[in-house]
Amino acid sequence: MIPVAKPRTRRLTVIAQDPSIRVDGRVLTTEVEIPAEEIAPGPRGYRVQVVDYDTSSGVLYQPLEYPPLQNAQYLDPFKEDAQRATNENLITDPRFHQQNVYAIVMKTLARFEFALGRRISWGFPGHQINVAPHAFADANAFYSKHDQALVFGYFKGLSGQVVFSCLSHDVVAHETTHAILDGLRNRYTDPSSPEQAGFHEGFSDVVALLSVFSLTEVVGTLLQPKGGQKRKGYKSDLISPAELTIEKLRDSVLLGLAKQMGHEMEGVRGNRAHALRRSVKLRPLTDKDDPKTYEKLEEFQEPHRRGEILVAAMLNAFLQAWRARITQLERGRPGAKLDLKMVVEQGTDAADQLLTMAIRALDYAPPTDLQFRDYLSALVTADKELVPDDSKYQYRKILLKSFRDYGVKPASFNSPDGSWEACNAQLTYDRSHFESMMRDPDEVFRFIWENRQALKLEEHAYTKVTSVRPCLRIGPDGFALRETVAEYIQMVTLQAQELQFFDPPIGKPEGMSPDEEVTLYGGGSLIFDEYGRLKYQVFNRINNSSLQTPRLKYLWKYGYFADKDTEENAFARLHLSRALNLTTNVAERF
Amino acid sequence: MATTTGLKPTSLTIRAYQVGFGDCFLLTFLYAGATRKADKERHLLIDFGTTGMPETVDPDGQMMRVARDIEERCDGKLHLVVASHRHKDHISGFATREDGSGTGDIIAGLKPEIVVQPWTEDPKAKDPKKHGKGSKTHVAFGQQENSLQQQFVSALSDMNALSEAIQLEVSNLTSTKFTRGLNQELVDQIKFLSEDNGLANKSAVENLATMGTNHFVNYGYELNVSRLLPGIKLRFLGPPTLEQHAEIKKQRASDKSEFWMLQAAAQQFWSLQSATAELIGDFTSGNTRLFPSADVFQGFFPTHNRWFIRQLRALRGDQMLRLVRILDKAMNNTSVILLLEVGGKKLLFPGDAQIENWEYALHLDKNANLKLLKDVYFYKVGHHGSRNATPKTLWNNFATRSADKKKRGRLHTMVSTMKGKHGCKDSHTEVPRATLVNELMNHSEYMTTEESALSVDLKLTFQG
Repeated sequence: MIPVAKPRTRRLTVIAQDPSIRVDGRVLTTEVEIPAEEIAPGPRGYRVQVVDYDTSSGVLYQPLEYPPLQNAQYLDPFKEDAQRATNENLITDPRFHQQNVYAIVMKTLARFEFALGRRISWGFPGHQINVAPHAFADANAFYSKHDQALVFGYFKGLSGQVVFSCLSHDVVAHETTHAILDGLRNRYTDPSSPEQAGFHEGFSDVVALLSVFSLTEVVGTLLQPKGGQKRKGYKSDLISPAELTIEKLRDSVLLGLAKQMGHEMEGVRGNRAHALRRSVKLRPLTDKDDPKTYEKLEEFQEPHRRGEILVAAMLNAFLQAWRARITQLERGRPGAKLDLKMVVEQGTDAADQLLTMAIRALDYAPPTDLQFRDYLSALVTADKELVPDDSKYQYRKILLKSFRDYGVKPASFNSPDGSWEACNAQLTYDRSHFESMMRDPDEVFRFIWENRQALKLEEHAYTKVTSVRPCLRIGPDGFALRETVAEYIQMVTLQAQELQFFDPPIGKPEGMSPDEEVTLYGGGSLIFDEYGRLKYQVFNRINNSSLQTPRLKYLWKYGYFADKDTEENAFARLHLSRALNLTTNVAERF
Repeated sequence: MATTTGLKPTSLTIRAYQVGFGDCFLLTFLYAGATRKADKERHLLIDFGTTGMPETVDPDGQMMRVARDIEERCDGKLHLVVASHRHKDHISGFATREDGSGTGDIIAGLKPEIVVQPWTEDPKAKDPKKHGKGSKTHVAFGQQENSLQQQFVSALSDMNALSEAIQLEVSNLTSTKFTRGLNQELVDQIKFLSEDNGLANKSAVENLATMGTNHFVNYGYELNVSRLLPGIKLRFLGPPTLEQHAEIKKQRASDKSEFWMLQAAAQQFWSLQSATAELIGDFTSGNTRLFPSADVFQGFFPTHNRWFIRQLRALRGDQMLRLVRILDKAMNNTSVILLLEVGGKKLLFPGDAQIENWEYALHLDKNANLKLLKDVYFYKVGHHGSRNATPKTLWNNFATRSADKKKRGRLHTMVSTMKGKHGCKDSHTEVPRATLVNELMNHSEYMTTEESALSVDLKLTFQG
C-alpha cells in the first residue's frame, strides 16, 4: 500500500459572527481552515485544550471526540448539521460550542503564525491554552494568564434565552488575541500608560473585527439587501457604485455589523459593538480642533476609550483600502454596476491584508511602554521591509493618513515615510557567532552587552534577552524575507527620591512618598537581517525623563501604587470596569 | 401636639449602639424649656442594622437589647427615622416577624412620624414594567433619561437578586467532590458581602416604607422639621440623582451623552446578571443544568482536567467577590448624607457614602459646600471607617480637626465598626482603615463602638 500524505490542514464549521446573524432564519456559519492534527477528546490539541467545566453548576460535560483520519481526510462532525434547513441544534449542543472555540482559537493563532512566519508561544509556561466554553453563568469572557486560560461565560439574555459568549466569533478572536499578544509582548500588560493598556484592548478589537471582515459570508451578508428585500442600488448579484462610497460602506458594513452584533452581548464583549459604533463615528481631527489630539482629553485617559482611537484609525484605513480596490474594479467603466461577489472579495482581501500588516508590526514595536505612534512607525516599517513598493494599493499611505486624522503621527519623524530609521550605531560583531545569534538568547545577550554603549543600554539595570525568533515571511510577490527578531528588556527598581539622580531628572509624582518603591522599564526589539547584521533597534530607554515622568504620574494618579494586588486577572477586571464604567478617584482615599 | 414654636434644644445625646459591623445611632434632643413632658425630648434614629457581632456580644440577643433600649429611651415616641440605605448592616434591625416579635416591630410601635430614605427607595422611581429581564424592551443609549433613572433603581433590586444567587453558588464552590474546595477566606468575604446585599432585608424595607410618612431624598432635598424637631435644620448633601451626577460627567467629557450611554450599559449589565441569577438558582436547586440532555462526567474527572478545574473554581470565586464588591459599593453610594445643624453645631452623618456619592457635593457646589462643612463638630465616620468613604477633600477641609486636644470646638468623630469583618490589610482594604483611624485619633476626639457592651454616648450641650 502506498502511504498517503496526511493533510496539513482541516476545515471545521464555526458560527460566522454570532447566532444573532441569520440568513433565512438559519444561523450564519462558515468553515475555517486550521492546522490539522489528531485531536484528542476535548477537543484537545497541541496548542488548545477545551475543558467544558461549568463552575456555576459544578458539571463537566463530556468532550467532543473526532473520528480518525478516513481516506486521507478529516471529517467535520457538524458540516451537515450546519447546512440543514434549520441548524438550531448548533446552539443547543455543547459539543458544537467546544468545536467553535477550538477552531476559532486555532484559526487566530494560525493567522498570527502565518503573518509572523514562526511559531508563537503563549504568555505562560505551557504549550496548551485551556479554553472553558461554559465557564460560569456570567456576562463576561476573558483571558487569564494566571489560569493559562480563555474563559467564556453564558447568561440569560434580554429575550429570556441563554446567550453563549463562546459562540461569538469576535469575542473568541478578541480574547485569543489578548493571549497571543501576551505571548509576544508580555510587558504590554505592565502598568504603564493609558495608551499601552488601550493598545491591548484596541489591538484585540482590530484583530477580532478584521478577522470577521475577512469572512466573505459576513461581508456578503452585510452588503446584501436586508431580510430578502431588494435595496435600492441592487439588482441580482450586481451592486451600484453609488452604494460603495466610503460613507455607505461605513454604514452598511461597519455600523451594520455593530447593529447586528447581538445587543445583549454588549455586556460580554465589553460594549465592542458600542465601541465599534463610537470608533467609526469618532470624528477625524481638523486644524481648527483644540486640543489637536484626542489623547489630551480627560475621557481618553481611560484605556478603553483610548483604544478606540486605534480601532478608528485601523477601520477607517480598512474602508479606504477597500474603496481604493473598488476604484480599480471600476477602471474603464465608470458608473457601471459591479459584481457583488468581486466587491466582497476586495473587501475581505483588504481586511486580510491589513490584518497581516497589523500583526507583523508587533515585531517592530518596542517591547515596553508602547505608544500608538510607535506602533504606526512599526506598521510602516514592517510593511516596507516586505513590500518595498506601496504604489499598488498604497496601504502605508492610507494608514499614515488615517492615523494622522486621529492625531497620531509616526514616532519616527526623521524619516520621510514614518518608518524607523535603520540602525547606524558602530557595532562590533567580532565576538558573536552568526548561527547562535539566530536562536540563542545568551549569544544575543553577549552581543548587546558587548555593544551596550552603542545600543544606549542602561548599564546599571537588570537586563534580559526575552526572546530570539528567526522568521521567514513571504511577500505578496512571493519574495521571502528572512529576519531574526530578538527582544531585550531592562528594569531598575529604586526609591522615588532617587529619580532626581537621572539626567535629566525623572519627576516624582506629587504626593508620592520619597521612599515609595518604583520600577522603571526599558527595552528594545532588535531586527537582524539574514546576514546577522542589526537592521533596526526599536527601543525605549530607562533614562528617558519624557517617557518615565508622565508614566509614573499616570500610575500614581490612577491608583496603581495603591492597588498593586489587583494585577491578577487584569483582563477580567478591565472588562468589568468597561461594562460598568468603574472609576474611583484614588487621590481621595485613605 | 402643642405648639413648639420658639423651642430650642438645650442638649443632645448621641448614642452609638454596639451592633458589631453595622450602624445604629439614636439622637435624643432635650428641650429644657418645654412645658409639656411629652415635648421635653425628641428622638431621631439613624439606621439600625448589623451583619455580625463581636465574640464578646451575644449575637442573638444584642439587637433585641438595642431595640428595647431605644424603646425605653423614646418612651413610646420616635419622631424621625433615617435609613441611610438598604444594606443589611444599616436596616436589618427594622425587620419584622409575622408574630410581631421582631426588632422592627418594636421600632414601628414607636410610630415615627417621618422616615427618610434615599431617592432610590421611592416606589415612584421604580419602573413597574422593569426593563430587561424576560422582556424584549430596552432603552437605546442616550435616550429617555427618566427611564434610565427607573432602570437604575431597578438595577439595585437586580443586585439584591444577584447577591442571593451568589450566596447559593459559593456553597457550590465549597463542595469538594473530585477537587479541592475554595479558599475559606475568600468564601467568607463573598458570603459576608452577598448576605449584606441580599434580599434578606425585604421585611425591613417594607417596614420602613409603611411606618411613617416617607421622604425620599437626594442632594438639596428640602425637609422642614421645625414642628417635629424644633430648632434643628436638616440638609441633605447626597445621594445625587442621576441627572445631578451627569452634570459632573458632562463637564469632563467631549461627548455630552456619554454619561447616559454608560448608565444604560451598566443598568443592562445588572439586568442580565439578575436574569442569569435565576439560572444559578435552578442549577443549585438541582432542577436543571445548562444542557439538560448532554452527557456529563458522573465519576472522577479526567486527571488532565483537574488542575484547570481547580483554577477555574478559584477564578469564579474571585469573580464573584469582585461582583459583590462592586454592587456593595453601588449600594453604599445610595446613602443619604445628612448634615444636621443644632445649637450652633454641625453634625455630619454620611451613612456609607463613598467618594462617588460625595463627588457631587464636593465638586459641583464645591465652594459653598466646603464652606458649609468647614466647621463640622461631629462626624460619624463614613462606611465604618473604610478607605473610600472619608474623602480627603472633606477631611482636610474640617477646620475643627486639630492635634491640640485642648482646642475649643475640636472635631468629634465616632465610628461604628468591627475589625476583621471587611477587607484585608494586605490589600489596604481593611475596615476600619488603619491610616484613617490614625488620622482620626490624632486629630479629633475619637470614639468607637468596638469595645462597648451596649452603646457609646456623647452628650452635647447648647448655649442659650
